[in-house]
Amino acid sequence: MDFSATYFAYPFIFLGLYFEVFMLLTFLSDPARRRRYRAVSTETPNVAIIVPCWNEETTIDGTVRSLLALDYPKDKLKIVLVNDGSTDNTKAVMDAYVGNPQITVIHKANGGKHSAINIGIESAGDAEFIGCLDADSFVATDALREIIASFEDPRVASVTPAMSVFEPKSLLERMQNAEYIFGIALRHTLSAVNGIYVTPGPFSFYRKSVLNEIGGFRHAYQAEDMEMALRIQKAGYEIDNAVRARVYTKVPKTVPKLIKQRTRWTTGFLRNVLTDYRGLVGNPKYGVLGLMVLPLGFVAVLGGVSLFGIAFFMIIREIVHVFSLSAGVPLSYSLMPRFSIEWFYAALSFVTVIGFVVTTISIFFMMVGRRVSNTDSGLVIGIIGYVFVYGLIAPFWLIRSIYDVATGVERAWR
Amino acid sequence: MKPLSLPARNALLALLITLAIIGSIVYAINYLDQQRLAELSAIQNQLATDTLSLETQFALLESAPCEDIASGTEFSREVSDLGDRLGIAEGRAGNRDPQVLQLKKQYTLLQIRDYLLTKKLSSSCGLKPVTALYFYSNDPQACTTCDKAGYALSYLRQTYPTLRVYSFDYDLDLSALKTLIAVEKIKPQFPAFVIQDKVSYGFTHLDDFQKLFPKALFKSATSTATTTKK
Repeated sequence: MDFSATYFAYPFIFLGLYFEVFMLLTFLSDPARRRRYRAVSTETPNVAIIVPCWNEETTIDGTVRSLLALDYPKDKLKIVLVNDGSTDNTKAVMDAYVGNPQITVIHKANGGKHSAINIGIESAGDAEFIGCLDADSFVATDALREIIASFEDPRVASVTPAMSVFEPKSLLERMQNAEYIFGIALRHTLSAVNGIYVTPGPFSFYRKSVLNEIGGFRHAYQAEDMEMALRIQKAGYEIDNAVRARVYTKVPKTVPKLIKQRTRWTTGFLRNVLTDYRGLVGNPKYGVLGLMVLPLGFVAVLGGVSLFGIAFFMIIREIVHVFSLSAGVPLSYSLMPRFSIEWFYAALSFVTVIGFVVTTISIFFMMVGRRVSNTDSGLVIGIIGYVFVYGLIAPFWLIRSIYDVATGVERAWR
Repeated sequence: MKPLSLPARNALLALLITLAIIGSIVYAINYLDQQRLAELSAIQNQLATDTLSLETQFALLESAPCEDIASGTEFSREVSDLGDRLGIAEGRAGNRDPQVLQLKKQYTLLQIRDYLLTKKLSSSCGLKPVTALYFYSNDPQACTTCDKAGYALSYLRQTYPTLRVYSFDYDLDLSALKTLIAVEKIKPQFPAFVIQDKVSYGFTHLDDFQKLFPKALFKSATSTATTTKK
């Protein structure tokens, strides 16, 4: 084993474990517990939900139907469908809803998701709260009442939902589902210390008065939801989480599409935080967000790439070493795995044990996320995939993101 | 004094707990390493008793020593097992660790004893085991091909189990080993081999190396094996 290489991994391992322990403590704290047991709202303020849409002919109908099925007074809920210059049959699907008193349909030239949401906000009328829902996502009937309950505190400018994957079938979808459910637990926990840094497209809500104050959505390097969250935080407001407001979203079905999506997310994070929101990083004024979440976001990107690099280097070196030793010894002997109880103990190193601890805490959070959000979804295959496969794919989008940010490359949305 | 906010308190507590977890893991790993070394010592003590027992048995059965060959085979297997464990301990604690060095000396003694017993059994019982003495140096400058030689010997002893390999660290400060080196007339050129009582030096390729062994070895199928270090 190359000790110098493994030493390089130690700071990342320490910070990963530290963050998880911090999250565990916060999860067990009173503010998090209060959020978990918060009652569903009986208040029904005026709400507008905007559905920005670009080429979503196959999913938009289901999305709208799920919104119409929400348990909320129909005269208090307005749905704004915005067709952002779709080139498929989206327009026709949307036009089928023209005439529905709850629904407003808008067609516009393609200008990006942020422009579609902004036009929707202009059409929101007297809504007190504005929600967004991506056109490939579907909500649970009680989700809106759960969201509204979280706006009770006037300092809360935005509320995020509990996102999971819509009917995950393949291993890749199940892995993403495990990750999303992990995200439910993390977002729920971070909300207790106002540490949320992104208000995701599927069913995040905003207080209209705050949007009026801080302005509408921006292009923000194709990460308008992250930029808005950071702007809300910068303005001194809070972002809460409604852990039982379930929303189900469709996710990439192939590895290249997943890498493309995550590259967009990661470059969006890096570019926003490195430019307009650099002042938040390491700033005690922004509490957990400034001192922990944003700095550790960078650490996660660098750590993911570094750990992958170290592992890759060690594997290649081992292969080269075995080949250099062979000198005529058949390859079948070199490649044949040899196990014994002694080898098992020999593998019990500091890195493997602490890796086991970190993974166990992550799995605990996944199970907690599913439980506190009442998400009805199998997790076993997803967790296995997440633990053993995800780490092999993630470095590719991390490396690509660093490359894109360093060279200024901007890629298309899809 | 103003009480700490929840995030600050949790951050501090998390730091303490993280350090405690890491400390516990480091302690547990070190403890396991120590246990493994202690286990080696126990095995070594057992083997020392076994050696004495075997030699005594051998003396008692001088008229018919071959009846107890099975004991000798078992002894060789245990020496081999000990060698594997010692190799792992050496990898974890380093080849300069005093306890590892001490164990290595004892292990070297056991190997020499096993080698002598094997020779004695073979002459008394008409057996012809193929033995290979392998002398290496841990100094990479002194031996650039020891890794390859050790790997090739591991392959040979696993593929042809009747081959008995005894490997010795040439630089180990042990008088019995120095005597063996003197008796076999091994020069400080590495790797050095004594195969079927013939001394040879250097390693290039497995095919050339195999020519040093009797052809009968490569037709055999059954097995006893000791370990190959380095």
